[in-house]
Amino acid sequence: MNALTGHLSELGHGVVTTVELTVVTTIAALLIGMIIAILRISPVPMLRGIGTVYVEVLQNLPLLALLVLFVFALPQIGITFPLFTSAAIVIACYEGAYMAEAIRAGINTVAVGQAEAARAIGLTFSQSLRHVILPQALRAVIQPIGNICIALLMNTSLAAAVGVVELTQAANNVNLIEAQPIEVFTGAGIAYMLMALIIGFTTGRLERKLAIVR
Amino acid sequence: MSILSKNLGPRRTVAMAAVATAAALAVAACGSSSSGGSSAAGSVPGNGLGGSGVLAQSVYDNAPVASAADMPAGSTMAMIKQKGQLTIGAALDAPLLSQQDPTNGKIEGFDADLAKLLAKYITGTTNVKTVTIGTQTREAMLSSKQVDAVFNTYTITPERASQVAFAGPYMTSGLAVAVKASDNSIHSVKDLAGKTVIVGSNTPAVTELPSAAPGSKQVAFGTDPEAVQALTQGRGVAYVQDLTLLASDAKANPAIKVVGQPFTTEPYGIGLNHDDAQFKAFVNGWLQKIEADGTWAKVWKATLGTVVEGTTPTPPAIGSAQGS
Amino acid sequence: MRNDQKLLFDEPGPRGRRRIKIATIVGVIAVIAAIALAVRQFADHGELAADRWQPFSEWPIWRYLLTGLWATVRAAAATAVLGGAFGLLLALGRLSRRRVLRYLAGAYVEIFRTVPALLLIYVTLFALPHYGLNFSLFWKLVLPLVVSNSAAFAEIFRAGIRALDRGQSEAGLAVGLRPWQVMRLVVLPQAVLRLAPTLVSQLVGLLKDTSLGFVVSYTELLYSGQVLSSFTHLLIQTFMMVALLYLAVNASLSKFARVLQARGGRLFGRRRATTLGTRYRRWFPNGEV
Repeated sequence: MNALTGHLSELGHGVVTTVELTVVTTIAALLIGMIIAILRISPVPMLRGIGTVYVEVLQNLPLLALLVLFVFALPQIGITFPLFTSAAIVIACYEGAYMAEAIRAGINTVAVGQAEAARAIGLTFSQSLRHVILPQALRAVIQPIGNICIALLMNTSLAAAVGVVELTQAANNVNLIEAQPIEVFTGAGIAYMLMALIIGFTTGRLERKLAIVR
Repeated sequence: MSILSKNLGPRRTVAMAAVATAAALAVAACGSSSSGGSSAAGSVPGNGLGGSGVLAQSVYDNAPVASAADMPAGSTMAMIKQKGQLTIGAALDAPLLSQQDPTNGKIEGFDADLAKLLAKYITGTTNVKTVTIGTQTREAMLSSKQVDAVFNTYTITPERASQVAFAGPYMTSGLAVAVKASDNSIHSVKDLAGKTVIVGSNTPAVTELPSAAPGSKQVAFGTDPEAVQALTQGRGVAYVQDLTLLASDAKANPAIKVVGQPFTTEPYGIGLNHDDAQFKAFVNGWLQKIEADGTWAKVWKATLGTVVEGTTPTPPAIGSAQGS
Repeated sequence: MRNDQKLLFDEPGPRGRRRIKIATIVGVIAVIAAIALAVRQFADHGELAADRWQPFSEWPIWRYLLTGLWATVRAAAATAVLGGAFGLLLALGRLSRRRVLRYLAGAYVEIFRTVPALLLIYVTLFALPHYGLNFSLFWKLVLPLVVSNSAAFAEIFRAGIRALDRGQSEAGLAVGLRPWQVMRLVVLPQAVLRLAPTLVSQLVGLLKDTSLGFVVSYTELLYSGQVLSSFTHLLIQTFMMVALLYLAVNASLSKFARVLQARGGRLFGRRRATTLGTRYRRWFPNGEV
């Protein structure tokens, strides 16, 4: 326990960075996911193509490779971001692809009659999405989105590979001094577990509150 | 990242000073010939393939082998001899220390070759099974006996000595500074005060830098190639890492150079199970033999000697590091 | 596009089509110009120099990477099959009417959804050998991943089953099927088909989870890439190649899954997917209800 209690400030900073990164990335990923999902069902063929290519490419690449390429290859074509921003952008884009797929699955579960009714009363594409389809779609996929958020939380630990000092990296630094890996990493694991439980609870409450009872 | 950990112990004996001086001479030679290095290097980035760092087979053939009397029944070494194979924890991605050649799967380097020599000593063949480890898993692998020894530029510290036993130290190195080849404003670690410095994420640099260069901001990367790339892209003004790695990087990449002298002393030991004093004495005995008959020097010359200029250093005195 | 998705907008008329065409052409030109500019910049920094790509023209390097890839695929396949099957059982357990089953399955899923996979791997690596459970390298990676991913699969299946129209299961019960038959014949086929995109996502994510294999010294593709990049001192090029390999494998997986879904879950055999309608007609050929 000394290993942990002696370094609480370092580990605390790591937790704060992880939480920051997770929150920022989740919001960004949700936005990106919705945009891409809408792109994939839009009337314009090119937009549909862009959406499909985005999801295909980003889902099929490992996050670590994406991070490394973004942080190290992009400066070679002239674009350099600070490290936290780079990590946030990459993780948001990556998880955004998963969000897009989940939202699209949700849109597919909405009964066809809803879309027909929306068109019948004269709503345009964006109006019917905003008022009829998306609310139902999102309510149907709260669990998968919660899963993605938890995966996002675990993925923030990869930001350590490109220099962001979040919880895993802080734990590594503490272990470097203390040489007590089981204690230190169990502590870090429990911290991740608590954060994931919070996300899980929130998702569960949201789902119960917003569930569509058929 | 395969390397090192923090050295909290006090400074050392004359033997260490001798090694440090030799290393300093090497670095001074290295730093001053940086521009010469870019043309003399010949090794264009990407030419890590082939040749350098491979120890001649004759060295293995002539290496000492333990007699049966040295390995009493029931001891760890007797069990290893019965298995016919030495299991070690090592890295696969530390050039010139323990690097796997993707073309043929063999692992070469200073640490890897020493492991093979130990295997020869115990079993009569250089049959080594390498288990990949990281800084997080070293101690646990040793205490659960999943590996017989750890050859991973494992710095000896008192904290670690309470978890594992160390044979040696078998090599001393230190942290040094690398900068962009075009940068002439930084000459030593003191010039890094208040600047942004790149470090490897599980290396002693993380803990040594705040005292050596107060006010410096650290940016840590997981692997050595990433840190070198970050340096060339200007994400920091300097890269602080163990001299052996820096020397190898500078040779492969003419865009960076090593400056100044190593500002710390890191004794590397062979990690062993904590409760096995018999095995530790055995390994120390082997270490003494290969240091005395010149095998150690031959291994150095074939691996690290290809990038660290100057004469081959003398190995440190066994048991001279606190915790060993 | 599916026909019902086309219901959200009218077919564009002539002016609309013209506008779309112009926008598409302009967009394509803009994208090509951006890519060309990026490539030019890349070359200016010397990243396209021949000597940097030279290692990748040699077979031993590719053999090393492909060996890593094969190791990745093997681990991922085992995890997918075991994790998916177990996840399905867990989901059914959570939806069962028996309280004990529900709580047990629920507890398992809640716990293992939130524990990081890396932690489970450490436990398998260090804690279990003390109790005498020492597995081979392959299973040291696969078992923790199965435990972790089965919880995720369970949640996916559960969401899919719940999202299905309740009328389906009611109809199944009304025609006299037992609850487990309703699940097997009516609910699951439809739910799984609808969940196919999410399931494939999970599968692909699982493939990438196998990169945690380096902790147990299982040399899979990403770690092989790291070893290679430190051997050749080439970071960007090696990671680009590794990324391409992952892309190739995962994209083919996704394509395969889509093909499977289009064929209604059948790989060979009848062209026409067996829908609920054809099944119904088989049971009641004379049209009785």
